[in-house]
Amino acid sequence: MPASSESITLSGDLHARPAGAVAVAAGRFASAVSVSAGTRTVDAKSVLGIMGLGATSGQQVTVSADGPDAAEAVAALITILGDATRVGG
Amino acid sequence: MPEVEPQVGIVLVSHSVLLADGAADLAAQVSGGTVTVAAAGGTDDGGLGTSAAKVERAVRRADGGAGVLVLADLGSAVLTVRALLGDLPDVTVALADAPFVEGAVAATVTAAGGADLTAVAKAAEEAWHARKL
Repeated sequence: MPASSESITLSGDLHARPAGAVAVAAGRFASAVSVSAGTRTVDAKSVLGIMGLGATSGQQVTVSADGPDAAEAVAALITILGDATRVGG
Repeated sequence: MPEVEPQVGIVLVSHSVLLADGAADLAAQVSGGTVTVAAAGGTDDGGLGTSAAKVERAVRRADGGAGVLVLADLGSAVLTVRALLGDLPDVTVALADAPFVEGAVAATVTAAGGADLTAVAKAAEEAWHARKL
């Protein structure tokens, strides 16, 4: 199965609503998707896991996916992380 | 118009009107507002307690055809829900053993991603293991 991975530097803290947006989007893909920040990696489909990362502005996070729609999943989540952490919440 | 799959609905049963309404608001906002999150808080006259009639109305409101997950705040709310569920044979309802706020948020977000009732219930119950620190 194809695997894909991409990183982004957060422009704001990863609060509840952006974490929710990431998890909702991740749930729509068939691939297994994870988000890493620092030394921790969580299931991108788990909103509580993403919030538990405690990822803050300026931190680099990495989205990785493995499955039939891995590239699409990574692209979608990187876009959401870029947009959502800009407005905060 | 894209075809819209029915989503699992969420019912939040609390002894407190404010707690049920607040948790429903939070879960709806974090999940983007696409899932029906119905609050059933307090007694029929708005006091602290639970109401079978309110729970039934909430279940009917949350039912969009893909099933309903019910979360309760304390044990005696579970008693009210359990007593009622047998009386609703026309709705597929599951009762989650989950922490109230975290479970509500996890379940609603998972439902918004298109998951089925089994996966939504699992997400709620996995909330026991989510660390905050």
